[in-house]
Amino acid sequence: MGIEMNTRSFSRRIAAGCVAGIAALTLSAPSAIAQQASTTAAGTYRAPKTPDGRPDLQGYWTNLTYTPFERPKELAGKALYTDREAVEAFDKAVKDTFTTDQLVHYVQSDFAATPVQSGAKPNLNTSLVIEPADGRIPAFTPEAQKRVAAQRAAEKARGSLPLTWRDDRGTQWCVFHDRAVPAIPAPYGSIFHIVQSKDFIVMTYEWNTERRVIPLDGRPHNPASVRTYAGDARGRWEGDTLVVETTNFTPKRDFFGSEGTFTLVERFTRVSEDSISHTLTITDPTTWVSPWTLALPLHRTQGPMLEYACNENNMDAFTVLKNARAEERGELAAPDAMKRGDAKAVIKDASDKGAAEVIGAVD
Amino acid sequence: MTPLQRTRTRLGVVTLTWLVAALFAAPLPGFGQGQTYRAPRTAGGRPDLNGFWQALNTAHWDLEAHTAAPGPVLALGAAYAIPPGLGVVRDGPIPYRPDALAKKKGYAANVLKEDAEVKCYLPGVPRMMYMPYPVQIVQSTAQIVMLSEFASAQRTIYIDGKEPPPADTWMGWSNGRWDGETLVIDSKGFLGGTISALDEAGAIQVRFLDRAGNYHTDGLHVVERIRRTGPDHLSYEATIEDPNVYTRPWTISMPLYRRVEPNMELGEFKCEEFAGDLIFGRYAKEPAAK
Repeated sequence: MGIEMNTRSFSRRIAAGCVAGIAALTLSAPSAIAQQASTTAAGTYRAPKTPDGRPDLQGYWTNLTYTPFERPKELAGKALYTDREAVEAFDKAVKDTFTTDQLVHYVQSDFAATPVQSGAKPNLNTSLVIEPADGRIPAFTPEAQKRVAAQRAAEKARGSLPLTWRDDRGTQWCVFHDRAVPAIPAPYGSIFHIVQSKDFIVMTYEWNTERRVIPLDGRPHNPASVRTYAGDARGRWEGDTLVVETTNFTPKRDFFGSEGTFTLVERFTRVSEDSISHTLTITDPTTWVSPWTLALPLHRTQGPMLEYACNENNMDAFTVLKNARAEERGELAAPDAMKRGDAKAVIKDASDKGAAEVIGAVD
Repeated sequence: MTPLQRTRTRLGVVTLTWLVAALFAAPLPGFGQGQTYRAPRTAGGRPDLNGFWQALNTAHWDLEAHTAAPGPVLALGAAYAIPPGLGVVRDGPIPYRPDALAKKKGYAANVLKEDAEVKCYLPGVPRMMYMPYPVQIVQSTAQIVMLSEFASAQRTIYIDGKEPPPADTWMGWSNGRWDGETLVIDSKGFLGGTISALDEAGAIQVRFLDRAGNYHTDGLHVVERIRRTGPDHLSYEATIEDPNVYTRPWTISMPLYRRVEPNMELGEFKCEEFAGDLIFGRYAKEPAAK
């Protein structure tokens, strides 16, 4: 497996019949490639400044990538590619994107949504996780192991059919897009629109219009009782780097097994005309034995970013819930794995046929 | 002794009357002194509209003048009754076409089903600007973002933009330009009703401008004029045009007030959570809200 996301949200995202997601993940995840052409340029590049004198991070950026989230076993001990290897790995992933057998009827490139079409670049890092040094998410604490096991048991007891609209967190989940904060790769919709004023920086993520309006005025975090999906971000400039610390995530979050108890520290540095270095350090002593850090660069892409309007177009929730009730009444023929959204079965089937691995699969 | 009593004692009733008249004729704080007020500038040299702004009126209940009335849900009693208001339509009444006025009355009688706000759908423009939620303006040089707390609604104003709307959207497409102290925004490219394939529980026919059933269709064209009238006030004005509904363009105007709390920020108001059971509930086994 590319990654084990031990979370209710991500397993549900796949299992809920998120057909588009399955296809896109399959296309973008397998490859051993991606971005961050930035390290070499960082030393000499001077970012343009806003009228307020700060580095200008504005514009439209994407974090689509071909780099695997965790370091593949075959690359154990190899944190970095050479320039040439990075380009080769990138080229291979691009090629694979357009030749992999598709699981669904539409062609991903119709949406101009494949990483290469949107501006992804070769990456010297062999995985997005750069700390710990093995490029893997650290082990769960014993406490987290128990918690996650209990959570899975509870889900299993609840059955496979959605009982409420909240049960399905695939495309029909319009409340919060879990990949927006902390930013982790998504199959598409991974565009950030950044606008700066003196005291605030707005980062709007296309998928579900997840926005962060980050104050730069030195204010403290909110009271611990105010916990939200996106957390309360506080930014400050350290030289040419924007440092953003985010806390107070809601316990309704389930980020790789952490129920909103993590803190997030991000560093954004514009390292070239077309790239922003973006690292994310996630700390939660109740969940992982050590902090871990992602390097997920942003690359310039084309605007404008149009309205997402998730809730307005949420036909999935109707159909999924309606079909669940019909199935309970025995009025619906048992669907095949794809229609059912049984990601594990679909993936196994695809895998048997030689397709590549899929981010987000559980177990 | 209050100052007024003191005044009466010393100067007599005639002088008091004059004083009261003068008080009313004097500019209200902010709103009205605007013609001469010169706003502080951003580092980019434009009038600085940055900040948190909010309407303090009953326009979100009804743009037109209205008396107090019971709210739409009996159980809420006086707590959510409709407060009275003198309206914000400058050249009213709203010039409905006769057929559209009949429709408006129908919508007014069916607000809970027909109003996008109830379902946490995007509020559109100009409604976003005078809902009972703060609006944050984040001003850059080429783009200005206006963000409502409600439903994470937001819009980008493309300064000196000439692009036509690349697609129709609920929040529309806004090109802006500076006319001296005033930001002039021209918005079109709006969607009107809802998507027909949606289940009946999610479908609505038009988009409301308030909770009283005043509405527009996809023929909407809005021109807004926003200007600082003081340190903590904006003058907000919107001319609304939609030949499907109105016989001529008409204009609303109101002040917007700065939220001056030092810890002010847009809260996270993910209202889909509060509308999910309402929209999808009849196919659910149990309510999800908690």
